[in-house]
Amino acid sequence: MRSPFAYIPRPRPLQAASPAAAVTYLGALVAVAFLYSSPIVLLAVGLAAVLAGRLAGARAAVRAALWMGLALAALIVIVNALVVSRGATVWARLGEWPLFGQVDVTAEAIVAGAVLGLRAAVVMVAFAVYSACVDPDRVLRALRPLAGRSALTATLVSRLVPVAAADAARLRDAARLRGPGAAPVGRAPLARRLLAGSLDRAVDVAATLELRGYSLDAPRARGRRARSRYDRRFYAAGLLVLATAIAGKALGADAFGEYPATEIGVGGSTLIVAAVVALSGLAPLRRERRQVRSPSVRTASTSLSAGWRS
Amino acid sequence: MPDLATQTRASPALALTGVTYAYPTAGAAALRDVSLSLATGEFALLAGRSACGKSTLLRAACGLVPHFHGGEIEGGIEVAGIDAIAAGPGELAAVVGYVAQDPETQVVSTTVAAEIELPLEMRGDAPASRARAVEEVALALAIPHLLDRAVDTLSGGELQRVALAAALVTRPRLVLLDEPTSQLDPVAGDELIWLLRRLNEEWGVTILLAEHRLERCLAAADRVIAMASGTVAYDGNPRDFLTWAQNTDTALETPAARLFSLVGIEPLPVGVRDARQTLAAPSPAEGGGTDPLRTTFPFSSPTSRRQQPHVPPEKAREEGVRLPSSPALEARDLWVELTSRETPRDVLQGIDLTVRSGERVALMGRNGAGKSTLLRAAAGLLDPIRGKVEAPHGIALLTQTPSDYLVRERVGDELPGDAGLAALRVVGLEHAVDADPRDLSGGERQRLALAIALAGRMDSDALPGLVALDEPTRGMDRARKSDLVGLVGDLTDRGAGLLVATHDVEFAAAFAERVVLLGNGVVIADGPAPEVLSGGWYFATEVARVLDLPGVITPEQGAEALRSQAGESP
Repeated sequence: MRSPFAYIPRPRPLQAASPAAAVTYLGALVAVAFLYSSPIVLLAVGLAAVLAGRLAGARAAVRAALWMGLALAALIVIVNALVVSRGATVWARLGEWPLFGQVDVTAEAIVAGAVLGLRAAVVMVAFAVYSACVDPDRVLRALRPLAGRSALTATLVSRLVPVAAADAARLRDAARLRGPGAAPVGRAPLARRLLAGSLDRAVDVAATLELRGYSLDAPRARGRRARSRYDRRFYAAGLLVLATAIAGKALGADAFGEYPATEIGVGGSTLIVAAVVALSGLAPLRRERRQVRSPSVRTASTSLSAGWRS
Repeated sequence: MPDLATQTRASPALALTGVTYAYPTAGAAALRDVSLSLATGEFALLAGRSACGKSTLLRAACGLVPHFHGGEIEGGIEVAGIDAIAAGPGELAAVVGYVAQDPETQVVSTTVAAEIELPLEMRGDAPASRARAVEEVALALAIPHLLDRAVDTLSGGELQRVALAAALVTRPRLVLLDEPTSQLDPVAGDELIWLLRRLNEEWGVTILLAEHRLERCLAAADRVIAMASGTVAYDGNPRDFLTWAQNTDTALETPAARLFSLVGIEPLPVGVRDARQTLAAPSPAEGGGTDPLRTTFPFSSPTSRRQQPHVPPEKAREEGVRLPSSPALEARDLWVELTSRETPRDVLQGIDLTVRSGERVALMGRNGAGKSTLLRAAAGLLDPIRGKVEAPHGIALLTQTPSDYLVRERVGDELPGDAGLAALRVVGLEHAVDADPRDLSGGERQRLALAIALAGRMDSDALPGLVALDEPTRGMDRARKSDLVGLVGDLTDRGAGLLVATHDVEFAAAFAERVVLLGNGVVIADGPAPEVLSGGWYFATEVARVLDLPGVITPEQGAEALRSQAGESP
């Protein structure tokens, strides 16, 4: 069973971009999510991340991250509503609770919790897009000059974690298929067996690395320079988002007050920042190539067709 | 003093001199006084029963033994002039490539391109030369379309090619392969063998290939090295090997050779083409005349199947097979959907299938045809999206990896009490109650896993209606397959239906009375085994491909057909 967050190579701009460009672009979205509390801007960040993921073909990752993010957001809303009693609009007085004390559910605490949850959800979507669209091999190869063995270890972990998940699924199936006269299998024996299997796999991988020449002291080759015609686009989008967000912050675009009454600023600067951030979600858009039909091309193709016929 | 390149070119690709080796915790030596030499450009087949030392020999040739596995070694090993015992696998990586049985265990990167490039990167090659080498090896193995794929989205056959590409990308002089076709369907297996032959001829790569299914690769080999109990028992050309096997170890005979030996035709054939030519040629023993056994078959004629009398499949079945009775498995309009690469795919598409009690059915088809999915749906591990599948009297399923069933450190702890002992007795392992499952042989572990699946169901009333096995013969030699045939025969004699998913056509011919062939999730053939296994090329036994006679799939049936034809000829 493949994780929805696992990297899948696709012929899309975000996957083709160098890891640095992709990280700049997606990192800018995450930075804005931590920089701003305005729900309008946070919604724009979420929209940009969802759009980017869908344009990059990572629908399953976006969908899974949204479900997980919304579940987490709901939990944050509930906890915040029970823990924080500040706010002028009291919706319910639930009396004295052990540990919590006096519990008043206020509209402002619910909104504040929703904003926190929204931030968590959009950050999760952005990381899901990163995980599904940025090749971990290329990221780690880029890091190899800094810490070669650590990078290789990380590569192996990124490879072996899904393998271990598949092993666990197979072991669970085998446990279900045991006859009624066989000893039942609890979680502890299964976990021990999974650990033993993982160690066996690690030994196999170590043997493979030996055979690939890992133990040689030969100088590690420089990484192939990852070139992509989309790099400039993602660098530009990321820097534009960051610059706009910082300028907007300075100009008061992050106007949001939680207590005692919720105040959401909808000034021009907020809307501009939100618009720029939301539009940045189009950066992974792939332009369809137009068929150029110049007279010379037509002539060439005609003569080629004639050649085929003859 | 000659440089390393000159030295490696002038030396044999592999030379072992009096090698004796024992694993650290083993009592007996895995290799005993082994001496052999492989010249550059040879294609050698390494034959022998399970645990005879084939894999250890390959590990020694690539430096894993003793550097990685430890143990004590005596003698000398040279690979392309390099002392393998002194050098170790890292240094040998430049001159030797190794492909293991399970490609899943030897892939360390996330994408195909990164996996193939890794050995070059480790060696310190420049980026431009790496890019070219990756491109060339991908073209040679016909996998350029896979370069950008994630490794965990590949099929078994594709993954095996990627592992081979990673072994070949450094242009090694010697390539070692340990049963590379054991997980492949007949089509992918044949493709891999002929790909190796082409690389051997075009690139001059020396190949040392360990295999159990000799009929698949004997014709491609220049030389056979047979091992027995850690020693080299035979070393010579493939044709003489067949004569040696006939006299020394019949478990190593190919089906075509067995057919010839049963009817007394010589020389024994190393492949289908060779067999057909021998049968069609005049007999030299007759002084230019003709041998009735050889000339009664118009092999080359496309109409030969129509000209030959049809052998009814019912006659081809063994006597004493019980007539089918109540259904052990019923699938009606069965559709199962699985998600592959984020795309839902109907792996089973409207399967209608009934297996009856006491019936022995082989389920065949290419990798990805839906065999395992059908078994998993029958066992309730997968839910159909449409239709139904049920085993009215229960099902015991043994999946592809028997070790998944073994979670404890003592056989008796896996199978406690009388029910456990009864299950162990059925599979012949009652003597191993106190053993650690990891100390059992591969065949014993498989029997233990089957006992675990059957435990508590061994009374005649509780015996599951269907026993299902998924690829049970991977890595098994012929003797162990015969044991398995005997074991499953006992179960069907006691009334259980048997459904075995397998790529092994010879095994299917040995145990099955009926074969169901799946293709892309639909049943494309369903009939008596002699009929289905003689009606094609890839899903046909070697004897069927040699004789091209309807209903004739085993050497015994073939010999009978040849004799009766010879008797009828004037």
